[in-house]
Amino acid sequence: MKLFTNLGKGLIAGALALSALTTTAAAEYPEKPVTMIIPLGAGGSHDLNARVIASILPTYLGQPVIVKLMPGASGQTGTAAAANSAADGYTILFTQNFIDQLQQHVAKLPYDPNKDFVTVARTNFAAPSVIVKSDSEFTDFNSMLEYGKANPGKLRFGHSGNWGAFMVPGALLFTEAGVRPTLVPHKGGGPALQALLAGDVDVSMAFNSVIDSQGDALRPLVSVSPGTAIEGVPTTGEVGIEGVGDMGIMHRVVLVPAGVPDEALAKLRSAFAEMQDDKTYKRLLGKLGENAEFMDGEAYDSIRLKQSDEYKALVDGLASN
Amino acid sequence: MLQELLEGLSLILRVDTVLMTGAGLVLGILVGSLPGFTTVMAMAVLLPISFFLDPLVGIPFLIGVYKGGIYGGSIPAILVGIPGTGASVATTFDGPALTKQGKSRKALEMALYASVFGDTASSIFTIFLIGPIALVAMRIGPPELAVVLALSMAIIASTSGGAVKKGVLMLMIGIFISLIGQDPIGAVNRFTFDVFAIQAGIDLLPMLIGLFAIPEILLAVESRINEGAKATKPEGERLSWQELKRSARTILRSTWMGGAIGAVPGVGQVVAAFMGYAAAKKAAPDPETFGKGDLDGVAAPEAANNAVNGPTMVPLLTLGIPGDNITAILLGAFVAQGLRPGPQLFSDSGAMVYALLGSMVIACLLLLVLGRAMIPIFARVVAIPRSYLVPLTMIFAVAGTYVYRSNPLDLVFLVVFGLFGYGARKLNFDVTPLVMGFILAPPLEYAIGQTLLLSGGDVAGYIVNERPVTLALLALIPMLLIFALRNHLRARRKAAA
Repeated sequence: MKLFTNLGKGLIAGALALSALTTTAAAEYPEKPVTMIIPLGAGGSHDLNARVIASILPTYLGQPVIVKLMPGASGQTGTAAAANSAADGYTILFTQNFIDQLQQHVAKLPYDPNKDFVTVARTNFAAPSVIVKSDSEFTDFNSMLEYGKANPGKLRFGHSGNWGAFMVPGALLFTEAGVRPTLVPHKGGGPALQALLAGDVDVSMAFNSVIDSQGDALRPLVSVSPGTAIEGVPTTGEVGIEGVGDMGIMHRVVLVPAGVPDEALAKLRSAFAEMQDDKTYKRLLGKLGENAEFMDGEAYDSIRLKQSDEYKALVDGLASN
Repeated sequence: MLQELLEGLSLILRVDTVLMTGAGLVLGILVGSLPGFTTVMAMAVLLPISFFLDPLVGIPFLIGVYKGGIYGGSIPAILVGIPGTGASVATTFDGPALTKQGKSRKALEMALYASVFGDTASSIFTIFLIGPIALVAMRIGPPELAVVLALSMAIIASTSGGAVKKGVLMLMIGIFISLIGQDPIGAVNRFTFDVFAIQAGIDLLPMLIGLFAIPEILLAVESRINEGAKATKPEGERLSWQELKRSARTILRSTWMGGAIGAVPGVGQVVAAFMGYAAAKKAAPDPETFGKGDLDGVAAPEAANNAVNGPTMVPLLTLGIPGDNITAILLGAFVAQGLRPGPQLFSDSGAMVYALLGSMVIACLLLLVLGRAMIPIFARVVAIPRSYLVPLTMIFAVAGTYVYRSNPLDLVFLVVFGLFGYGARKLNFDVTPLVMGFILAPPLEYAIGQTLLLSGGDVAGYIVNERPVTLALLALIPMLLIFALRNHLRARRKAAA
């Protein structure tokens, strides 16, 4: 019987996500399904987080949430589509800080992230760690820095794609430490990890859940994180590199086009806040190896401009090299 | 290992596992058969259902959607000449021709048997050789991948028929179109003229539907005087045992080729399908019937593209590294169940890994049963009078293109590629090299770009000192050239005599 109850739950979640034929509420927001645009592709960690949100949020919003994947051009395609949609609260964007605040400094965009969007919530964050193979000659972060300083361009840093969740913290970290590695892009975190394991690159980055799954094949050297991310591994702050711990982590954020009616914004913000106490939500995030470090929309809006300045400095620095 | 294997099999021989796999297969076939709906999309939408199921029910369900979707994609390729993915392009060479001869049922059955055989054989092969395949996958880095991709392009190009100059021109156009958009290594825009809409590049699906479906429709409209009100050819008879036996060699050849290609991460189904087709044509006693409705021409690409599936799972299961979008979604399903594929999973719960591999075999066998049951329904499509079928195909082509990612611009590309494909058909240009160049150039460029970065500027030194496998692969090129030249000269001598 357990199967059938579980199956039932699954089907309900699926049906909620798929169909628009649910309770017709009164004439207040939301009276139809909400579309959540993801500017990234299927199967990535962002997609997984979105699927969890889309399964649970309808309970608190009162309407189904439809996930719409719109990958392309480093996240610009989906973001532009969200910016162009009506500011009625029925289109929301589930993105992350590097797409949100960094792309404006490397590409000509048809939108202005800080004028065209406001934050609904930061659902959680992910802190990457610098990893090497466990048989690497680099036993700690300082030995790697020494090698990197003595041999400019020799250290090969494999990351998951340009201006992505590993390239930005890596570049921030190495720039701050005065090392110039060769940056080698890969098509996602998986291929970057494979390149590290195969010895194609010397150093890479990964999130905790991936590091755990690799057993003793990897050695984490330092975590880009405001607090301890892995037991026994120092944070960037602890090895004397300031600032990177805040700017290098990936914030998963939900944005909505600016000009959205106040009541819709308030309803969305409260639905996300209420979802934080949901046991199934916490359990599913836990299984994904994600934290549930929620931050409300107003608080997050206040750090977006700071991110923008920091990323601009990074981009200018890399360009002048 | 044997004990773990048996333990694993005993885990999945359950009624609920089999039922949900079957449900996944039927959903997959239905979705896959609709142009514009991709297997990846279906899996992404259905993924949350697996969150709430037992892992040995939820994951086999998704595997069912995956296998059903891939088979479903060959249905429109055969019946109306619309390939839903790059992997079924090669099926459109002979599938629609068979349909026109009133042999659609035979073609659909051949595609099913070839797919099921290729897939099952490669899954079993993977179960027993998972260790060695993982080792090979580890040896393939960007330089090796670049050589393998370049080699496959050369082999497919040299064995495909038609005028060489026209083929090269189409290939170049395809490569050029693939360059439009953000470049993958430096993230710089190319050929976009600051038009934001094409910064993400041009997508494969509108191109495929445009190049293959629209010309078919326009040609059908042209010929309306002759066949207007007539019903299309009937679905015809079932595939006979003799016909299946005649294609057995082709299916076997394609299966091992597909399996070998699948073991090289990053190459994939498209290459396998084209290579399987090219090899079958080369080995056939009657190569001139290829492209005009040869059952071998359906069997070869279908067996080859499905045989890729088994080995593709290896990096996922052994290293936790997904090789493509589909395995990435499966990884998500694993992770949501608290299973982290990787070396750890293999040593901690080997039985689980074998259970999942075993469920792939079960899914294949179920596909055989369910596919056979559904073929008569799909085959009925051709009984629709042409005066309805042609506009219906047009509606599906347009709707499929739009549904794919709700981008109105894709419709513009559909029309542009459609008119281009029509013109090419009239002037006797084959558009296949264009699609091939478009699909294969980006991974080749990416691999070359990574190799340049890894080498730190000294490519020759890097390959000689650090990449022995690349050297060995490079040494194959002159050997293949000599072989091809010898065949060519022999054929000419024969023709002269």
